Amino acid sequence: MMRFNYFRPASVKEACKLLNQHQSEAKVIAGGTDLMVQVRDEDKKLAGMKTVIDVSHINELRYIQEEGNVIRIGAIVTHDQIFRSPILKSAAPLLPEACNTVGSPQIRHRGTIGGSICNASPAADPVPALVALNAEVKLESVRGERVVPMVDIFEKPYKTNIGADELLTEISFKRLSDASKTAFIKLGRRKALAIARMNVAVVLELDDQGIVTEARIAPGSVLPRPGRVSEAEEVLIGQKPTAELIELASKKVSAVMIERSGVRWSTPYKEPVIAVLTRRALNQALGVE
Amino acid sequence: MDKVKVNMFVNGKPVSLEVKPYARLLDVLREDLGLTGTKEGCGVGECGACTVIVDGETVNTCLTLAASMDGKHITTIEGLMENEKLHPIQEAFIKHNALQCGFCTPGLIMSAKALLDSNPNPSTEQIKVAISGNLCRCTGYEQVVDAIKEVAEKSK
Repeated sequence: MMRFNYFRPASVKEACKLLNQHQSEAKVIAGGTDLMVQVRDEDKKLAGMKTVIDVSHINELRYIQEEGNVIRIGAIVTHDQIFRSPILKSAAPLLPEACNTVGSPQIRHRGTIGGSICNASPAADPVPALVALNAEVKLESVRGERVVPMVDIFEKPYKTNIGADELLTEISFKRLSDASKTAFIKLGRRKALAIARMNVAVVLELDDQGIVTEARIAPGSVLPRPGRVSEAEEVLIGQKPTAELIELASKKVSAVMIERSGVRWSTPYKEPVIAVLTRRALNQALGVE
Repeated sequence: MDKVKVNMFVNGKPVSLEVKPYARLLDVLREDLGLTGTKEGCGVGECGACTVIVDGETVNTCLTLAASMDGKHITTIEGLMENEKLHPIQEAFIKHNALQCGFCTPGLIMSAKALLDSNPNPSTEQIKVAISGNLCRCTGYEQVVDAIKEVAEKSK
């Protein structure tokens, strides 16, 4: 059994001080829905961990607010709170949708948006939605704070470049325009309690003539690092989204998956399936089918 | 490893404990408090046998550090009986034969209770979502859904 010390800071300042003291010997715990599984498995990702710092009591990190057209979410907001947020339902409906597919009700009541990002699982459900929202994250430490595009913190599966003394405190993104069309689709082995085999989030904007002015396509579980597939987005931008173009953009996602991830044991399965999921997501966003 | 002081409410009663920093809520409920109705199934948050209600919401106690429960209100299956009488959900589970081996039952009942506390009139779909984090390997879910529906109907 893994043993460790426990601290329960009441403020971000206190948490940063503790992280600065303990550096890489410390892990941050919020809902625990990922970390406690790794603790039980004595996962090598936790090698050298001597201390956990529980941020779940830092109430200043529990908020969903809108300033101007920017939405800010505190890091310890749970998946369930995101699902129930009226602000997010109108500002970025694909995010509550994605959060509502995580694990089970029990997991969604404890698991947090910040934890989901920091765990850096390639199969995380909220992450593709946040990628498609061009989300940024705020990292705080005793050295100060920095705000960076979320996609820049991912190095490889389960590994971020967040400093050992840094705490992820906020996720922010611009409210989607009223003309935006979005979708999130998850493919799991079961309807509940399933980790995504693959998922995909899309945001589209069309002008009055029905021409695509903005396209963001973010597939999950198929790329070495979460990100958008600009090669597929470019197929649609400046065009009317016909069935042929949607098919072409979807196949581009498969092609880019192979380009970025190489041919793996799962490729014969994932290659056609991620294309179909992307096509369905684009059609769902457009209200076709 | 220093023990951590935790003040919480368990089944309505204030409880003050010193817990190991790495103890799970599941361990503290079962071993320190003797509340063995909460079961350990998978230990990794996939089966829901260890479900309890914390501040009105269901959680997996196998994934929850006891040390993080300071100030929380926790309800376990032992907290459902009142005046030696079974809770209506427990009665309905028995009536509908919603259990065989019974190992998943406390968790299922806690999920049902959290649902009915917040939504006394759930649809079948809402019932299914509410128990979607609880695995049953012998009875299945039809009888469970029927039992929960009956409790909701009766409360109308």
